[in-house]
Amino acid sequence: MPRIERSATVTWEGNVARGVGLISAGSGAFEQLPYSLPTRIGQAEGKTSPEELLAAAHGGCLSMSLASELTTAGTPPERLEVKVLVVMDEVPGKGHLVVESQVDISARVPGVEQARFDAAVAAAEAGCSMSALIRATATVSIESRLEAS
Amino acid sequence: MATERHASVTWNGDLMSGSGTIDDVGSGAFGPLDVSWAARSEEASGGKTSPEELIAAAHASCFSMALAHGLAQAGSAPERLQTSATVTFVPGTGITAIALAVRATVRGLDEAGFREAAEAAKAGCPVSKALAGVPEITLDAQLAG
Repeated sequence: MPRIERSATVTWEGNVARGVGLISAGSGAFEQLPYSLPTRIGQAEGKTSPEELLAAAHGGCLSMSLASELTTAGTPPERLEVKVLVVMDEVPGKGHLVVESQVDISARVPGVEQARFDAAVAAAEAGCSMSALIRATATVSIESRLEAS
Repeated sequence: MATERHASVTWNGDLMSGSGTIDDVGSGAFGPLDVSWAARSEEASGGKTSPEELIAAAHASCFSMALAHGLAQAGSAPERLQTSATVTFVPGTGITAIALAVRATVRGLDEAGFREAAEAAKAGCPVSKALAGVPEITLDAQLAG
């Protein structure tokens, strides 16, 4: 199997309370996104954060994983909408941790039965590398529903 | 106080020939961004992001902030940190490695003290802890000349 590498770079200037960082993707898909401590833990004010990037990564991973499972089951999806909410909290004695990733999936999949869909969601969750990893500190919960197609 | 951040992704079609979009994130800082299996799993990504690239961005940004915090607490707030994270993904296996590299401009701190702070940031930042299951996370930390 090929080894795929993806990278990102960050430049940070100053201390943590008043400093600011810039995040760029190796692919060029996004460049110099600013972030800071106040906007990471308080109101976002239009700035991204490590946790928001994790939410986007988890959504991207799960949607591809579910598309794969549904296709294997003979019912490729027309459309999947995946929303992910990542929660970071201060845990006594452990500092700040990513404690939850709440996933909401709305799917339009012609010809699939509910039971097969549910099985595909479970398999997608088990197969998405990001879901498995984030469980080191976070609870992953998934709500999913089929839309009429 | 808990902090919540969210993202929405739409996928159309099967995995191999379909494509997706990271439609928006709660902050509005980026999006829509296109994603596809081909761009995720082949060497040239054609300017498209992928879950692994987003994880690299999350880890590099979390680590940098934790290191800035640690250095400031030790009395040597950094002038500048330049961090990269490289995530290795093996389709079918998952994420096998993350390599962090940081070059720093910090006054009043020697190389050993800096490395110690960098190791602490690598161990302590929330994204590192959430990704503790990655088989290999390495750190190359050096003061810039």
